[in-house]
Amino acid sequence: MVELDVDSLVTGYHDKKILKDITFEVNKGDFLGIIGPNGSGKSTLIRALTKVITPWNGCVKYDKKNIENMSRNEIAKKVSVVPQDTFINFPFTVRDVVLMGRSPYLGRFENPDKKDIKVAKEAMEVTNTLRFEDRSVRKLSGGELQRVVLARALTQKPELLLLDEATSQLDIRHKKEVMDTLKEKNEKENLGIISVHHNLNLAARYCKKILLLDKGKKHAYGDPEEVLTNSHLRAVYGVEAEVHEHPKDGSLYVSPMDKKIDTEKGEKTVHVVCGGDSTGKLLKNLVEMGYQVTAGVLNVMDSDLEKADFLDIEVVTEAPFSSITHESYEKNLELIKKADAVVVTDFPVGEGNIGNLEAVKEGVTRETDLIFVDGDNIGERDFTERNRGTKLYDKISREMDFRSVDSTEEIKRLL
Amino acid sequence: MKDNWRNNIRKKPKSFLIFLSFLLLIVVVYSATIGPVDIPFRRVLAIILSETPFVGRWFPTYEGTERTIVVNLRLPRILLGVIVGSSLAVSGTSMQGVFKNPLASPFILGVSAGGGMGAAVGIYIGISYYLLPLFAFVTALGTVILVFALGRVRGKTDIATLLLAGLAMNFLMSGLTNYIRYISPPEKEFHLRILAFMFGTLNGSIWREAIISLPIMLIGISLVFAYSKDLNLFQMGEESAMQLGVEVERTKLIQLFTSSLLAATMVAFTGVIGFVGLMMPHAARLVVGPEHKKLIPTSALFGGIFLVICDSIARTMGEIPVGIVTVLLGSPFFIYLLVRNRGETGW
Repeated sequence: MVELDVDSLVTGYHDKKILKDITFEVNKGDFLGIIGPNGSGKSTLIRALTKVITPWNGCVKYDKKNIENMSRNEIAKKVSVVPQDTFINFPFTVRDVVLMGRSPYLGRFENPDKKDIKVAKEAMEVTNTLRFEDRSVRKLSGGELQRVVLARALTQKPELLLLDEATSQLDIRHKKEVMDTLKEKNEKENLGIISVHHNLNLAARYCKKILLLDKGKKHAYGDPEEVLTNSHLRAVYGVEAEVHEHPKDGSLYVSPMDKKIDTEKGEKTVHVVCGGDSTGKLLKNLVEMGYQVTAGVLNVMDSDLEKADFLDIEVVTEAPFSSITHESYEKNLELIKKADAVVVTDFPVGEGNIGNLEAVKEGVTRETDLIFVDGDNIGERDFTERNRGTKLYDKISREMDFRSVDSTEEIKRLL
Repeated sequence: MKDNWRNNIRKKPKSFLIFLSFLLLIVVVYSATIGPVDIPFRRVLAIILSETPFVGRWFPTYEGTERTIVVNLRLPRILLGVIVGSSLAVSGTSMQGVFKNPLASPFILGVSAGGGMGAAVGIYIGISYYLLPLFAFVTALGTVILVFALGRVRGKTDIATLLLAGLAMNFLMSGLTNYIRYISPPEKEFHLRILAFMFGTLNGSIWREAIISLPIMLIGISLVFAYSKDLNLFQMGEESAMQLGVEVERTKLIQLFTSSLLAATMVAFTGVIGFVGLMMPHAARLVVGPEHKKLIPTSALFGGIFLVICDSIARTMGEIPVGIVTVLLGSPFFIYLLVRNRGETGW
């Protein structure tokens, strides 16, 4: 059974030293996250663990056997890899590619048998790729191809699975699905997992141990609570970040510190109540038009939040997949009260985020320019119990004045 | 709808290969009927059967000019065509597989130009006709080794550098060949021989050439075929191929050596016959898909059939070099493939 020992590993490319004295171990059932800024040696470490590059010093051992004395086939039966991205030039079918995961077990002229095909089918099922198994991999989207490659890695039946930012191309739903699948394999089948992450919150949520690399050196290693601290993150990434505890499951999540609004400029502020990838180009347009833009409440890992972060917008954030807490409700309310205009996008309303509508009702005054996107069709995206969302909207429309548009595109004209 | 026939073929690859083999046999026999003397298909078939070892004794023996024409003149040429065609096709398939690049071919790596240069030198210094192939082979292989040496960056074969090195050697070798042509004596015969080599011809083939090249073809194709699985895995990217258990560097060297050997041997006997190595893998991939276990035998049979047909055309067009026919047929076909499949099946 897999027992990976990395002992004082030093390696790099040509004459450029990348990894300096790395030591750690991974046992059956471990889930290790590797984080670190760009160029810190995360991908190089993955390469060193699969003998793509060889150690200059120190060693990598599987079950006490030095990797340098193992054949590639031998390694491939123990470890499989999902790389950052894959480019396939020729039109292989999805099934062909997934079945390639069996090749370490097959002789030169041997074809996959029924058992191999069963393994591949199972892997396609858990990665949600079975329904397009006949398609050419050239016709898949980036996210679909990534799941196919994951299916191939699972078909390899490894004892240790290495993921090199494997979920970075997936949308939030598939990200969660894939990570949950891996978590289940990790817990039920004792599959060891090492996963390189750019997204600290994914690492915090799923990994049992975390290795923080900085310029090829081990900066910190241990439980997420020990590694994901404000001081470590400041030292390695050079940013101020808050580390919160998820209100539901207690896992950690990291959010960059809120920035103070620069009110001296006297610009008009627009607060956008959104979520679930409902903003389209709205945030970008508003920023370009010169408004001070704020937004909330958004869950960490929501793609609307990624856009907001990219635009440097002040956002009220909430833990991933969590309901709006009292604290963020109050923060959101604050921003709504301060705003000259409030835009409510056509986000799906559920029990978790109905607090957004409640804050709008409570915070909007006569002076506020309130705009609803596609408000009349709220029933179609109302997932609350007893249609509380729709009722709340009806109440707002009876009691308040607001303008209505059909899509976020139209707001540009309105403001 | 359009893909129905293709799906049927992909479901029964073995039947398709058997069908192609029969097609090849028919093309071979039919090709032997073509020439200045028309010999009917049935007679050619009867002559060939009577000359075939073991089977021959069940058929009456033929004598006379027709037998001489078929057995001594046409058959060695046609068989060499089959051997050269399939060798070049498999050489191209292997190179495209290793480079994961649908534009790789023996021609691009400079194998063909190197061989052509060697032959030109041989003709210039007036070595015996029988030594010419050896000369071409040595320079072709020498060119490839040089290209590999140039393409190896810090112990690894870098694809982009390799292709550029091939391109550079191509220019160099063609330049040298042109130089030799320019300084060589103005006798017509002399120039024609160098020209024939530059264009590639099956004219004047003898049994010995077919017999020498046959084992090289068989060994070469078998060696490429033995690595079908690894070539498939190569398409996932070299790093992924390693992580799936392929000894990438070793496979790359064996494949490149074998494909160069196949192409260099064939250039030595026939001169530079272009486009077969580039085009046949494409045609085969369009029909049976990119999986190398099916792709390699299919390209081999396609290559044999294609070159024999081209040579038949060359003969009926007043004995022009077959290399001219392959280029004239090959390039429009290639452009057609390009336009039709742009972005669709992605090669």
